[in-house]
Amino acid sequence: MRIEKCYFCSGPVYPGHGMMFVRNDCKVFRFCKSKCHKNFKKKRNPRKTRWTKAFRKSAGKELTVDNSLEFEKRRSIPVKYQRELWNKTVEAMKRVEEIKQKRQAQFIVNRLKKGRELEKSEAISEVKKNIHLIRAPHAAKAKKMEEKMVQKLQEDVEMGED
Amino acid sequence: MGKSKQTGNHKSDKKKNIAKTWKTKRRTKDLDQIHDDMKPDNAARLLKQEPDYDVTGCAQFYCLHCARYFVDLKTMKEHFKTKVHKKRLKELRVEPYTQAEAERAAGMGSYVPPQSVHVQTQPVEEEMS
Repeated sequence: MRIEKCYFCSGPVYPGHGMMFVRNDCKVFRFCKSKCHKNFKKKRNPRKTRWTKAFRKSAGKELTVDNSLEFEKRRSIPVKYQRELWNKTVEAMKRVEEIKQKRQAQFIVNRLKKGRELEKSEAISEVKKNIHLIRAPHAAKAKKMEEKMVQKLQEDVEMGED
Repeated sequence: MGKSKQTGNHKSDKKKNIAKTWKTKRRTKDLDQIHDDMKPDNAARLLKQEPDYDVTGCAQFYCLHCARYFVDLKTMKEHFKTKVHKKRLKELRVEPYTQAEAERAAGMGSYVPPQSVHVQTQPVEEEMS
């Protein structure tokens, strides 16, 4: 039993699921669901279709180059069943998956960091640009003017007395 | 890379029934097949075909990249100037998508970005007669 990968979205195709298309030059295409098959028939490019794995990888949305991705491979060599080997493999698969998940999550966190920084700097510059909406430009001046006016009034009064 | 801006296909007069064009019965050549055709041997064979009276223009005027036959040289030259043809050339400038790439995208090995390919409109021989 082999779990194939969908030609369009790279999702798993389990036995008895999906659809296989054989083109008239004998090339085989497997699809996980009718959505993928329909998109293929419409000649859409998986690299440019937003929801496919191929898009996410080619657009740099996900981790592309890593050693943890090198374990899962198509190995066309039959291996004789050995209990010990089997047990070890299952254990190793779990561990590899755990590490892979962690690295992929970290990659996305790092990718989003830049946007957050940009957002912050943009917010600061916006506040700087539109500061007049928060504080009136002559708000500070008025107080000074008031003091001056009071002084002048006092001077006037003194002048009048004389 | 946004969504495609092409709209209004269903009402277009040019394409009367687009659902029919998506049927496998009428399937046209895929991009990877055209990449195969562009190999020098295949290209030479396709561009110099024996006269076939069942095909448009007796199979003498074939656009390699669009996989289309034309009635005569003039229409083919006109076709080279069209948007359809230029768009096709642009699409052919990246390596075709394969099952191997789908598997790499699924996490079987590291993902390798597609290479670009040099593609040019086929040269047209001027026949003096």
